[in-house]
Amino acid sequence: MAVAKKLLKNPTSMLGIILLLGFILVAIFAPNIAPPPAKTRDVYMIPRDGFATEPKAPSPKHIWGTTEGQYDIYYGVVWGTRTAFRIGVVITLITLILGLAIGSLAGFYGGWVDEVLMRITEVFLAFPFLLAAITLTSVLQTLYGRSEASAMQFIAKILALLTFGHNPTQDLNPLQMQILTGMIAIIVFGWMTYARVIRGNILAVKEFEYSLAAKVIGARDMRILFRHLLPNAVFPVMVLASMDIGAYVLTFAALSFLGLGAQRGYADWGQMISFARNWIPSLSEHWYIVVYPSVVIVLFVLAWNLVGDALRDILDPRMRGRGAGL
Amino acid sequence: MVAFIIRRLLILPLLIIAVTMLIFAMLSLLTPYERAALYVADIPKARGSLDALIKKYGLDAPIPVQYWNWMVGRKNLDSGKIEGGILRGNLGFSKTGKGQVSEVIARRLPATVELAIWAAIPMIGIGIWLGVVSAINHNKLLDQILRVFSIIGWSIPVFVFGLLVMMIFYAKLGWFPPGRLSDWASQVVQGESFHHYTYMYTIDSLLNLRLDVFVDALIHLVLPVTTLAYLNWAYMLRLTRSSMLDTLSQDYMTTARSKGLEERVIIRRHALPNALIPIVTVGALMLIGLLNGVVITETIFNFPGLGSFLAQAALSLDVVSVLGIALYSCIVLIFGNLVVDILYGFIDPRVRIQ
Repeated sequence: MAVAKKLLKNPTSMLGIILLLGFILVAIFAPNIAPPPAKTRDVYMIPRDGFATEPKAPSPKHIWGTTEGQYDIYYGVVWGTRTAFRIGVVITLITLILGLAIGSLAGFYGGWVDEVLMRITEVFLAFPFLLAAITLTSVLQTLYGRSEASAMQFIAKILALLTFGHNPTQDLNPLQMQILTGMIAIIVFGWMTYARVIRGNILAVKEFEYSLAAKVIGARDMRILFRHLLPNAVFPVMVLASMDIGAYVLTFAALSFLGLGAQRGYADWGQMISFARNWIPSLSEHWYIVVYPSVVIVLFVLAWNLVGDALRDILDPRMRGRGAGL
Repeated sequence: MVAFIIRRLLILPLLIIAVTMLIFAMLSLLTPYERAALYVADIPKARGSLDALIKKYGLDAPIPVQYWNWMVGRKNLDSGKIEGGILRGNLGFSKTGKGQVSEVIARRLPATVELAIWAAIPMIGIGIWLGVVSAINHNKLLDQILRVFSIIGWSIPVFVFGLLVMMIFYAKLGWFPPGRLSDWASQVVQGESFHHYTYMYTIDSLLNLRLDVFVDALIHLVLPVTTLAYLNWAYMLRLTRSSMLDTLSQDYMTTARSKGLEERVIIRRHALPNALIPIVTVGALMLIGLLNGVVITETIFNFPGLGSFLAQAALSLDVVSVLGIALYSCIVLIFGNLVVDILYGFIDPRVRIQ
């Protein structure tokens, strides 16, 4: 509660919270703000008005104009808010769980378990993050059409269930599949910082008397870990990690911008901005294809950064300095 | 200090082997057929010939055997020559770059290095300067303005900033074009009388006494350098600011003040050198990051470096090239980290004692 109070007192974090609330409202009321056409198969596919290549300037019919291929920018930006939240939340959640599992095992058992897990963490850290995500995405996209890649299908189905509420007994939608490969790549190379921080926290908490007391009365390992250590070590990390949603959305947008994330025409901000790559010499004329989606992405990331920055100051002065950025 | 360096050097090969294993693991997600298709320049039309290829290259062998072959190469049963092997520098054939991956990396690297060097100077210099200014004026108006500026700077993704400067300075004003050289300048550079010393055009043009080419290369560098610098200024500023504030609150600063030293001297001689210690590390790591190819910046500005090549290769699912570049980048990063750690030991006496 004290944290919430401090957040509301600070004008910059207040601004961040207001922006975030705005985005949440847009995501919830997307069907009202930008109603999808009557007979649409997938509401996340931006409706097209013809197939002409040249982008069209804002008009009463398309208030923010249309991109190359006549995708409505306003519709894409509004529904893209949902995509952003879904992708950001699911990536953060799974990355955090992965980091939590690895970090707490390493910290709790110590010895060779710790040694092995931390060396593995180091190997993953040896990859530059964006490069690693690009690499793994391109490998995964080579094999995603294959039905016998069962492990990958399994992971993808769990992700699809979490992200899109997709029924796991049905086949995966190829549209979503391309998004899922990008998400998997980000998750695989995203958990290391959490693992390290949680390991450190567990190591510190382990030394406290109550942990020893639990051991003395004969509590099982898992009980000590879950009942006594994790609740004390993990909460601040979870709060701080939740602020990384902005950073993950940005990374995914970067993949989409390069053409590796969401498919052409999907309501995703990065994908929409990538249309501009084909129109660079005439951007001063077609400014709207860059400006609208860009402003929205910047505001979204800014909101997370403003709140995250204040949270970091309040919760843990040592963690100052991390945040969304590319 | 020596023990520290030796320990780091001993871990180094292990780390590199682990990285190759991880990369090979990614590769072995693909079936033998997919890999066979990746490693041949043309997919053979005849039926069953892909099976022959899989046999020939041992792509159906157990994974450890395949890893060994991938690392040290494999004897071709027909010619008796040893083929492949990343330890021999053979990273495979790049379909995107139409050549050996190692050759493509060598060809693309100078552009990236040139961009990195030009970007590093303003990025680190101005970032540190603004950070110091911000710390000295702690909580005053200037500090607040710089803080807001840095949070905003931090929230603008590279591709947004890049496209916006392109929109203004290229599409609208026509001042700074994308690419690396204008057409006429590329012809000069490709001409016979032009000697390539480093393949970095800003340096080669000066050595060839072609001032016009130098200016042209510089004009093409302005926007990508600005983009890279702008996005890292914000980070550098924050880091310098907090490090500087930390130093300014130390006891020896009070001592220096009580000796009656001038504030300017205190900051230059006592505060800055100490505050810069952690920044050296970050600055060096940033430079390494730039050397690894800045994928998005190079892609936006159509700058033919490693990063834009990676983006192209990834988009056409050219896994061989992508993994080759990934391996190269990891090794650069690992060695870079080693150098930074050792450097840090030399700069900071506290690390040396530990």
